[in-house]
Amino acid sequence: MAELQDKIFAFCEAAKGKKKLKEKDILIGVSAELSLEKDDVKKALREMINVGRLMYSYGGGASSVEIPSEEYLREKGMIP
Amino acid sequence: MKKYDTPLIDELEKGPWPSFVTEMKKAGKNNEMANDAVGHLEKCYQTKVGYWKHGGIVGVLGYGGGVIGRYSELGDEFPGVAHCHTVRINQTSGFFYTSSALREICDIWDKYGSGLTNMHGSTGDLVLLGTKTDALETIFAEYSSRGWDLGSSGSALRTPNCCVGPGRCEWTNYDTLDLNYALTQEFQDEIHRPMFSYKFKIKMSGCACDCVASIARADMSIIGTWKGHIEINQDEVKNYAKNGMDIKAEIVDMCPTQCISYEGEEFKINNAECSRCMHCITRMTKALKPAGERGATICIGSKAPIVVGSLLSWVIVPFIKVEPPYTELKDLIRKIWEWWDDNAKPRERIGEVIEMKGMRSFLEGIGQSPIPQQIKEPRKDPFMFYTEDDMAAFKAKEAEEKKTGKYKF
Repeated sequence: MAELQDKIFAFCEAAKGKKKLKEKDILIGVSAELSLEKDDVKKALREMINVGRLMYSYGGGASSVEIPSEEYLREKGMIP
Repeated sequence: MKKYDTPLIDELEKGPWPSFVTEMKKAGKNNEMANDAVGHLEKCYQTKVGYWKHGGIVGVLGYGGGVIGRYSELGDEFPGVAHCHTVRINQTSGFFYTSSALREICDIWDKYGSGLTNMHGSTGDLVLLGTKTDALETIFAEYSSRGWDLGSSGSALRTPNCCVGPGRCEWTNYDTLDLNYALTQEFQDEIHRPMFSYKFKIKMSGCACDCVASIARADMSIIGTWKGHIEINQDEVKNYAKNGMDIKAEIVDMCPTQCISYEGEEFKINNAECSRCMHCITRMTKALKPAGERGATICIGSKAPIVVGSLLSWVIVPFIKVEPPYTELKDLIRKIWEWWDDNAKPRERIGEVIEMKGMRSFLEGIGQSPIPQQIKEPRKDPFMFYTEDDMAAFKAKEAEEKKTGKYKF
């Protein structure tokens, strides 16, 4: 699971500043890259969002998945 | 607390109607945020500029919806509304609350927010207007500890919404309250974790009166209907006529399918032509009532104009039984999402994708058979489904008929 989560994180990092990733983009991209079931990627992604490693953002009525900023993590009490 | 001079928005307090400005001022007497919101609004009116930034990274940990970030460009001038986020709370089915539940919601909101609410937003949720980023987790913790949950926003299944249904209405054809609750529970992930291309709304009306306007405002409208005839009490029809109702003008002439006749003696309905619009039933409540099997019609695709123009929902399933555990309906919803997910570009609602790809492709995708009730307009959309197998069978039959001399062009 940890390895998969690292891959998902790397996938999001590569898109940072270039493309707003929807959850579907991550499921398709990572499952194709690692030849995994989308459901497995979904479970891993869900865990990452639950602990604040990734987060949802919102703009123009549509949502995307992003790597949280330090400010956000501080706000949520996840880093000092 | 700073007192703002508000000549422009004061105009909105004039006249016999309730005024949101009056309510904001009332809230502003005890709340800095509401007070600054009043000053901010006046400034917007003076300069004709909105000053609001919408969206961004703001929310509750683990949730992708339910909080809509709003920031003002005038944070220095109006510090109370520098952050003014909206919090959506999942409403109860049919909007039934006890007064103590409402008091609980408002007490928490007074503690952490502006005290201003929108009961209810057009999406259905209970909308709390104006709080700061650092209060969000506390607000969520307080509400959830008392059994409330956040509603939805963004590219998610928006909080399902329904009419009062059997709670107060004799016309409902299925239990809208129970279905609304069941779908809300079933699709918690889709509500709280935005996974779609754009928003998806489900609204449930118990009959064609459509009190939640699902036909115009929901991607999926579940509208109650019945399969049988309309029962007529001829004595009550006569009473309506005796009491001054012009039955020809008010009922017969207004029937959209012209299936009613009344010549002063007997009130007749050609049920085969009736479209179950509810007009006659709602006007002559004592004389007419639906009979027979109850269920719902499922329509798809309505929306307000954003990417393309506004759309009304389109019938895809003319009649479906709506009974717990609603397995057939839940499966259909999942198939619809799957097709939409495979075909939509970002920010495309399902109605728009159907417009572009065609109803034929959609019906094939969700495994529904084409039927006459799906035709939107006469002489349009015949949904001819000729597969390669159909063509091969047709050609084989034609060749056979030619061989036996039965072939007619």
